[in-house]
Amino acid sequence: MSKIVKVTDQNFEEEVLNSDLPTEVDFWAPWCGPCRMVIPIYEKLSEEYEGRFKFCMVNVDENQQTAAKYQIMSIPMQKYFTNGESVDEILGAVPEHTIRTMVEDILKKFPTDEKGRLKVLLTSWAEHNKKHREKFNKWVEKVNNLSGNPSYESVLSATQEMEKANERLSQVLIELQRGE
Amino acid sequence: MEHRDLIIIGAGPAGLGTGIYAGYYGLKALIFEENIPGGLAAEIPLLENYPGFTEGISGRSLIDRMVEQCKKSEIEIHQFEKVAKLNLEGREKMVETDKSRYTANAVIIASGRRPKVLGVPGENKLRGKGVSYCAVCDRAFFKNKKVTVIGEGSPAAEVALYLAESVSSVVLICLRPRIEAEKILVERLTGKRIEVLTNMEIREIKGDIKVKSVVLSDKKTGDTKEIETDGVFFQLEEIPNSQLAEKAEIKVDEKGYIIVDGRGRTNINNVYAVGDVTNHSVKQVITAVAQAEAAVNDIFEKRGV
Repeated sequence: MSKIVKVTDQNFEEEVLNSDLPTEVDFWAPWCGPCRMVIPIYEKLSEEYEGRFKFCMVNVDENQQTAAKYQIMSIPMQKYFTNGESVDEILGAVPEHTIRTMVEDILKKFPTDEKGRLKVLLTSWAEHNKKHREKFNKWVEKVNNLSGNPSYESVLSATQEMEKANERLSQVLIELQRGE
Repeated sequence: MEHRDLIIIGAGPAGLGTGIYAGYYGLKALIFEENIPGGLAAEIPLLENYPGFTEGISGRSLIDRMVEQCKKSEIEIHQFEKVAKLNLEGREKMVETDKSRYTANAVIIASGRRPKVLGVPGENKLRGKGVSYCAVCDRAFFKNKKVTVIGEGSPAAEVALYLAESVSSVVLICLRPRIEAEKILVERLTGKRIEVLTNMEIREIKGDIKVKSVVLSDKKTGDTKEIETDGVFFQLEEIPNSQLAEKAEIKVDEKGYIIVDGRGRTNINNVYAVGDVTNHSVKQVITAVAQAEAAVNDIFEKRGV
């Protein structure tokens, strides 16, 4: 039994944007031959990924608002959503393995379990800090007599502490990964 | 290794027609299609002259019926399975796909043609954002908008006419000095006030989040101009899908079309080719189906001996 959810202009927000699971939305129309040919692939995947990944269909003829909002100009078009945001897309009729790869990639990037989400959050946190540290270092290079300026002392010590904290964060991440 | 009486490569009208006749003659046949059934025929908005359909029929509907007909006679169609290699020398023909290997007593190549890719700047970036390769799929998104068709011959004229029914204006841009479409279609283009530009070179498709304009230049005068447009539909010249066949030492003509006789026989015993991939002078759905019947009938008669 197919688990594909038929989504309309009215329930798009509820079914897709507020979905707890990563969600695929297939924009299609009855007159579009290639669209109809790939539907069986989605039916199959919707059963296989039940509870982990959600598959939806939007008939662009009947739901023009949603189609216009996402600027659909060519179908079949499959958009992928996580946490209410469009994160990727596939244009045209493609073989099963292409869709499967996309679904697996998104599951990896946007895990739905507690531990997985924590890992993604910590990774991006550590990367974010690292980027700012690099920017700060560049700034220090330009303003070469920084250490002589007493008003910057506290900034320097704060950034050093921040770097230590970041190293600890990276360490925790490694431990978390080892623990699996 | 799986064995069949007949392996068919391609599921356009020629391949599906072959399947239907194979079913009729009781042959066990398998069709490989690297994409989805239909080929170029599936994109024809309306076949007006196909016998038996008084109101005409869309290419897609005809294909759907042919697929149904194949299934009824238990002809298998493996879609999204691409043939990678052919070994046709021996009595038993070997067909290797991206999934498995098969053998057959006979092979029919019905791999059709594909449109040339122009590859102009902006084309790939704006795909799905106004650049389309399927007028039937995407016409609805361009209601009352300005569109451009870039292409050659009757298929491009057909697409321009089909779009003209619902868009506000159509410019048909031909790369050759003449449009080279059937006379009746050219007459209709004039009736619909479709602007036709010939002997053009496409320089660029412009646009950021969606198509804004097409930049082109006149091949003769060199004059460049920019046409504002919301959509660009490609319908370019088609080239034969005969590379695999050529590698397997099937003879092709100077343009790459497989050389066949009246029964679709190639230079290799029990290897046939039908439809657009052959050097048959007419390339129509109906001639493809007729070629299919001639070939399957030949296989059946040989088997009877």
